Amino acid sequence: MAAVAVARPSEHGFSQPTSSAGLLAMLDEDESVLQVYALKQLNRIVDEFWAEISAEISKLEALYEDEGFEERELAALLASKVFYHLGELDESLTYALGAGPLFDVSEESEYVQTLVAKCIDQYVELSVKANESKEKQPPLDTRLVAIVERMLNKCITDGQYQQAVGIALECRRLDKLEEAITKSDDVPALLAYTLRVSQTLVNRREFRHEVLRTLVKLYTHSGSPDYINICQCLMFLDDPAGVAAILDKLVKGDSDDALLAYQVAFDLFENEFQQFLLNVRDRLPDPRGHAEAGHPPAEGAESTPPAEGATAAADATASASAALAAEAKDEASAMEEDTGAAESHAPAIEGLGDLPIATYAERMTRLKGVLSGETPINLALQFLYSRNRADLLVLKNIKGAVDVRNSVCHGAIIYANGLMHAGTTVDTFLRENLEWLSRSTNWAKFSATAGLGVIHRGHLQQGRALMAPYLPQNGVSGSPYSEGGALYALGLIHANHGESIKTFLLESLRNTTNEIIQHGACLGLGLAALGTANEEIFEDLKSVLFTDSANAGEAAGIGMGLLMVGSASEKAGEMLAYAHETQHEKIIRGLALGIALVVYGREEEADTLIEQMTRDQDPILRYGGMYALAMAYRATANNSAIRRLLHFAVSDVSDDVRRTAVMALGFVLCSEPEQCPRIVALLAESYNPHVRYGAAMAVGIACAGTGLTAALDLLEPLQKDPTDFVRQGALIATAMVLIQETEARQPRVAAFRKHLDKVIGDKHEETMGKMGAILAAGILDAGGRNVTIALRSRSEHDRVTAVVGMAVFTQWWYWYPLAYFLSLTFAPTALIGLNGALQMPRLEVTSAARPSLFAYPAPLSDKKEEEVKKVPTAQLSTTARAKTKAKKDAAEKAEKGKEAIEKVGAKGGKKEEEKEGGDAMEVEKEPEAKKVKKEKEPESEVLSNPARVIPAQEKYVRFPEGSRYAPLKKVAAGWVLLKDLKPGEPEELVSQHAPAEQGAAAAPAAAPAAAGGAAAAADEDEPPPPEPFEFVPQ
Amino acid sequence: MERGLAEAGKLLQGLRSSFQSGDVASCQQHLGQLKIRMTQFPALPPLFQKTPTQKEELSLGREVLEYAVLLTVKKEDEAGFERQFLQLKPYYVDTRNSIPPSSREQLITGLNLLRLLVQNRISEFHTELELIPSAQHSSPFIRYAIELEQSLMEGAYQKVLNSRTNLPDQSYAFFVNLLLDTVRDEIAGCSEKAYDFLSLAEAKKMMLLKTDQEVADFAGMRDWDIKNGSIYFRKINEEAISKDIPSHQLITQTLGYARELERIV
Repeated sequence: MAAVAVARPSEHGFSQPTSSAGLLAMLDEDESVLQVYALKQLNRIVDEFWAEISAEISKLEALYEDEGFEERELAALLASKVFYHLGELDESLTYALGAGPLFDVSEESEYVQTLVAKCIDQYVELSVKANESKEKQPPLDTRLVAIVERMLNKCITDGQYQQAVGIALECRRLDKLEEAITKSDDVPALLAYTLRVSQTLVNRREFRHEVLRTLVKLYTHSGSPDYINICQCLMFLDDPAGVAAILDKLVKGDSDDALLAYQVAFDLFENEFQQFLLNVRDRLPDPRGHAEAGHPPAEGAESTPPAEGATAAADATASASAALAAEAKDEASAMEEDTGAAESHAPAIEGLGDLPIATYAERMTRLKGVLSGETPINLALQFLYSRNRADLLVLKNIKGAVDVRNSVCHGAIIYANGLMHAGTTVDTFLRENLEWLSRSTNWAKFSATAGLGVIHRGHLQQGRALMAPYLPQNGVSGSPYSEGGALYALGLIHANHGESIKTFLLESLRNTTNEIIQHGACLGLGLAALGTANEEIFEDLKSVLFTDSANAGEAAGIGMGLLMVGSASEKAGEMLAYAHETQHEKIIRGLALGIALVVYGREEEADTLIEQMTRDQDPILRYGGMYALAMAYRATANNSAIRRLLHFAVSDVSDDVRRTAVMALGFVLCSEPEQCPRIVALLAESYNPHVRYGAAMAVGIACAGTGLTAALDLLEPLQKDPTDFVRQGALIATAMVLIQETEARQPRVAAFRKHLDKVIGDKHEETMGKMGAILAAGILDAGGRNVTIALRSRSEHDRVTAVVGMAVFTQWWYWYPLAYFLSLTFAPTALIGLNGALQMPRLEVTSAARPSLFAYPAPLSDKKEEEVKKVPTAQLSTTARAKTKAKKDAAEKAEKGKEAIEKVGAKGGKKEEEKEGGDAMEVEKEPEAKKVKKEKEPESEVLSNPARVIPAQEKYVRFPEGSRYAPLKKVAAGWVLLKDLKPGEPEELVSQHAPAEQGAAAAPAAAPAAAGGAAAAADEDEPPPPEPFEFVPQ
Repeated sequence: MERGLAEAGKLLQGLRSSFQSGDVASCQQHLGQLKIRMTQFPALPPLFQKTPTQKEELSLGREVLEYAVLLTVKKEDEAGFERQFLQLKPYYVDTRNSIPPSSREQLITGLNLLRLLVQNRISEFHTELELIPSAQHSSPFIRYAIELEQSLMEGAYQKVLNSRTNLPDQSYAFFVNLLLDTVRDEIAGCSEKAYDFLSLAEAKKMMLLKTDQEVADFAGMRDWDIKNGSIYFRKINEEAISKDIPSHQLITQTLGYARELERIV
């Protein structure tokens, strides 16, 4: 020590003292001048000598508390710094507050930054507490408020508006939020940022609504209101009247405004919030009433028969006319109920200006077509049909590899077929294999019939006709299984847009006492009336429930939940009461899930109910509680929900509850897919197979459609798990993650497909694993390879239908037919450009990426099929097996090598795109040179409307310069309204392949007369249903 | 600055003369003024700025504080001594290379060592000792302190008492007298452990006290009983040690571990 003491001065030239003891001693002097001097000097060197000073901290405290001492604040600042160094942040903050103006928030030091952060944290905590608790809180420390405000003002003056917005949001200071936004230099960008942040960061629903209200206010006051975003906000706020007012105003404007109105409607539709959309639609004035001059509005609507209404809208497209008819009828009934709305029409129509009423009516009709879902669903259907690339050979191979007598696998193939062709209306596979199909009996027949609903999903006009062969004709019913299945199928076809089918399903439900038909009808009704909270339907479902029959009751429970999604109505209490009463586990389970659906998206509001369920004696109700947590906190990544779920995942005594708790994590985390694998990583290694299964599914749910490597890393070992159902879950989850991924982007796709083939062909694989593999194959190629699984829309809001669909899908563990609910999560990955008449004009966009990055997987060739067959025959003796293994290894290695090369190529390609405009050739040389024989791939491709644009591709898609059309929104995906820059010239429309020809050619004669007639009347190109197959009981 | 230094120099002159004449009040007054003035000098600790008058400033500051230390000895103010010495110390430690050592350095360092002995702060005593360059150990002031400490440690209390006769400086008398009390406390502490009881006469001799009354007072201070002409030492209750095992807490903890182990994922 002596050496150090001596050496120091010479090194540093007396710049630093070796101890602060002298100064500390000076604090005891009687002269206050000396004390102040000592304080000042100590403050200068505190960062180095805090350890020495901390021993004398009591002196500083005494000085601070001495009212007579003039530099108390300096003492406080010093004490604060010492406490900061000691890690006592609370104490430090107290003294920093005591230091008053001496505590300089603009200082760059670590101390100040840490304390300001601490300060804001404390402020946030206190203000949140003050906001949330009912009882009166003591007023906040004004000094604390002063510091936070100083900090906020500093952010604003420094131009760090995003920071200011963040802090203001956390502190619940709407006034500051407003100030930050209005003072910023780029108001629209900041508004958009706030909107996004408010969805992701603001945990409390009520406060989020306040923020949204503020945003709407700011949006409307800004120079050029951004109607798309305003309407998004209003939708979150559930304010249909506001949206209706804006839409009406836009429709009355010039043609650009009308386009904007359509765009708004399409964007709202993407969130699939049926109840809200219908409310908006019903609030819009009815133009046809006015078009018929002389009639008072309400009467006009009432007296106009549907057909007449359709003619009034003179040039509505042929395909929309049927929709219009149905709609007009609906509107009439809406009128009757709501005379207030009718009255409001009179002034509304006055704002028209010089716009002809006919044009207005026409626009309004189109707008309503969009809002009711008819138009977008129809467009999506056309897209899926015309671009269907499902590979029948995949199914054929699976069918060949699986033992025909295994009914579970047989069923699984039918499910896989349904998912693979979801929404494409292509039922060729079923037609080609009628005899094979006829092996389905009983409930398998039910789900085989229901599968048609998935295939024809969205085929709204023809749904009834398609299913007619399976429904009772002239009062004569066929098999109850196919009838029930058909009702379920109708629900799937009309899922979330079931206004036209509701009545029929309700009648079917009332006319039967057969529990199988009831089962189908309940599910169908729930799907068709999703989220409408219709009292009448609820009562009917309840009466089914009270018959206390297991199958019907289960479906009724789920149906009730679907009907009341997100309503948080007190009906949940009734359902819970009955769940306690009944003896049937199936009914309890159905009700438990139903209750969970009722509290969808209610977050804190649902906590009482969740608490009640999670504390129940009955494990099935606790299991429902897990679902309730998942639904209430879907896509919020809410910490408290995650904590609760993790707690149940490790502590509940029931395996079912634990499995569900882990799975529910997937729902809560689906807004942050990157987080999910990390959180469930440990659970995936649990000794309990149920927990492992849950972990696999959680990752599948949260990371669906992302192709995340972290997710695949977690799932890969689970695919080889010793427990069969874990393998099953892992396979399905992997398929969900890898959906629409290409080998060029994610080389593991190829390996996974191969693994699926192996599992399906393996004689020693258990049925469960095989079934998982078959379903996984279906999911991987879902919707003709043109859909992805999307639980959230592009505006980062949760898609109610999709999340609900996913939740019910996970129930297939108990009841296979529920697997079809997965089709609700499918979202077509399309870019559909539309003109003012909502038609698709011919349009080309460029995708600035190598085509192979986003291409469809290559179709299987027959040669490969042989290869697959060879493998099992070779496994005769151990030597042969070893040989094959060696061969396979070699092949795999070669394959891997190829993949690696491709990967390099892909990377190179990406780099180039990032450079954009740099010398592309140079970069290309290295990786591409290796693949001499492979032709050089173009750097971009041209896509034509409607284009398949998978989510990862969106950022590469551009509208070419000098094109005739200009898009109305920046993101090149989904439905994009196009502004015609050369309105005079004739437009070339995309020839619309109605989803038909093939079917019509195949078997028009086979279709029963009733169905055929109906189909022909409306649209000649519609496909008739597949032949009603004969069911041969074995 | 120059002027400030000159004025301070004058004040120092005043301080010197009043210290010589033993006028404590006047010293105190001068010191107060000087110290306030010294806060204006940037070359002094803890700033150590290199000013043209750096050496003068440092020497002046050092001398002022040396007088301050010596004054506290005169006033028999132990706490004050410590305070002043701590302020003086940076001059001795940090300025060794820039100004010639002070003639009073060893005297004051020795005093400080003695103070630490008196306060029974042996560890600090040794720390301080290590900081003193070994060349200075032979100085009579330092050596005196070292020897005293050795005698104390050995328990050769008689030697300690004898050392009162050969003080290196008159100012040492104050602390050495105080040392007697420290020694007595040491002895008392040992006696408590060593004996159950002790006759008054023995105690008087051992504790270096003069009269029986003094023994009685001392015993009262340490909470001893005096019965039948003997001192009875209270045994400190030894059994208390085992009482503090938190058995209840340990049991719950162990049970908790067992439960958690069962439900480990």
